[in-house]
Amino acid sequence: MKHFFLFLTVVFVGLFLFNLNHQQKFTTDEKPILRVYAYNSFTSKWGPGPVLKEMFEKQCNCRIEFAEGSNAGILLQKLKIEGEGLGADLVIGLDQLDLPKALEGLKWQQLNFGKLDWEDQIKPALANNYFVPYDWGALTFMGQKDGLVPHRLDDLLDPAFKGRILIEDPRTSSPGFQFLHWVIQSKGEEAGFQFLEKLLPQANLGIPSWSAAIGLFNKNPGQIVFTYVTSPLYYQLEEKRSDRVAFGMEEALPLQVEFLAIPDFCRRCELSEKFVNLILSPEGQKVLMQKNYMMPVLKGIKDETPFSDVLKNRHFLNFEIPSTADVDHLIKKWGELRRETGS
Amino acid sequence: MFVAFFESLKYVGHLLPLAFLRVFLGYYYLQEALHKFNSDYLSRPRIAEQIAEWLPASHAPEWYKLMMNYMVPNWVTLAFIVMALEFAIAISYIIGYVVRPVAFLGIFLCINMLFISGPSHEDFFKTLLAIHVMMAWVGAGRCLGFDYFFFKRRRGIWW
Repeated sequence: MKHFFLFLTVVFVGLFLFNLNHQQKFTTDEKPILRVYAYNSFTSKWGPGPVLKEMFEKQCNCRIEFAEGSNAGILLQKLKIEGEGLGADLVIGLDQLDLPKALEGLKWQQLNFGKLDWEDQIKPALANNYFVPYDWGALTFMGQKDGLVPHRLDDLLDPAFKGRILIEDPRTSSPGFQFLHWVIQSKGEEAGFQFLEKLLPQANLGIPSWSAAIGLFNKNPGQIVFTYVTSPLYYQLEEKRSDRVAFGMEEALPLQVEFLAIPDFCRRCELSEKFVNLILSPEGQKVLMQKNYMMPVLKGIKDETPFSDVLKNRHFLNFEIPSTADVDHLIKKWGELRRETGS
Repeated sequence: MFVAFFESLKYVGHLLPLAFLRVFLGYYYLQEALHKFNSDYLSRPRIAEQIAEWLPASHAPEWYKLMMNYMVPNWVTLAFIVMALEFAIAISYIIGYVVRPVAFLGIFLCINMLFISGPSHEDFFKTLLAIHVMMAWVGAGRCLGFDYFFFKRRRGIWW
């Protein structure tokens, strides 16, 4: 044992001494660091995060450090555990379903951006003091132009669609919960769950995330997938193909609004506000629109771009923030339905 | 001592495949430790972020979760301990010195990593854990390692 402890001591002390010099090269940067919590697709190299970071770092004499999470739930969890200890200056990527959870156990700074020229659909989302919307989108089914076309929710029960519908799991995916909420809002709770019971044998409703659903759709485009109305634009602009279409439905489409917020324990609060200003500037909104494939929250940004026509002739559900109790109730009922039907 | 290093092949040559596995594992840990040393692992809270992301959903007992939540603000110490343990395992496995007790450190490190690394790494760390158990069980440092020299002279359970 004497050898073992001596060996460990030599390794630890040696490393400690060697490390004193070595780590200096990682800590010579004196610029203040803005720690931004955001989800993976925002911070990935093809997302809007790196572009916004570069734009901001040119003017702020600071450095942005992204702390990533796979979804908003993970972001909030990380924020609760490490936020205060490590510093968290801004959170990007909460949607309306996350807001009640975000208010539980976390304090946020009051923000007021009411004087901006907001899009009309976004105005109801401004009725809170802490969370500022930065982009939004509507959801519907996407499929092939010359393939099967659903015109209303009930069409999904048509045997022709059997095994060809891809929907995210409401328990793990925000678009998945948007679908569940959409059905309940369109049909009422009882009729809604009866509809879902019939839909379960028809559709793949257990896909864990939006990206997994899109991945499955790309492998077999003969299917239809529940996604954003702007998704066909991605294929049109990035892959130069116009054979995918977001279907108009008789039911009003659900809206997803994404929010950012500044935690009360922020360390670089002024820099955070400046970064929010950049995101809500015309330049920042354009980056979000082009990289995130979501609609800008300010008027005039999408004019004369391919995004200007995407939402024309579509009608939307009113924006609302469901309470945590409502979300938990629907998720619980959904789980029970899946257990009962054995799917 | 160097004579004993190679002499071990003659007397415990049947452990040679295990010695190969030991050196390979040591090389793996050396790479991991060097990567941490040469990156910003000690200056950025990577390990704290990892803990905050994966620990709440893990099967770890509540007392462990509470303890690790306390460790999050002290992530620099934690990151240094992880890196130093990896270096220690690497050196020990490669030269075959104090392999048995170091294998217990490997088991300890693997159990912790199981809790903070997420489900996609679970199988990997379980496999690693089993290998460390095997290293400790057979005393893998006795073949092509300096442990043979000490085992010959001192015997005991630690060689």
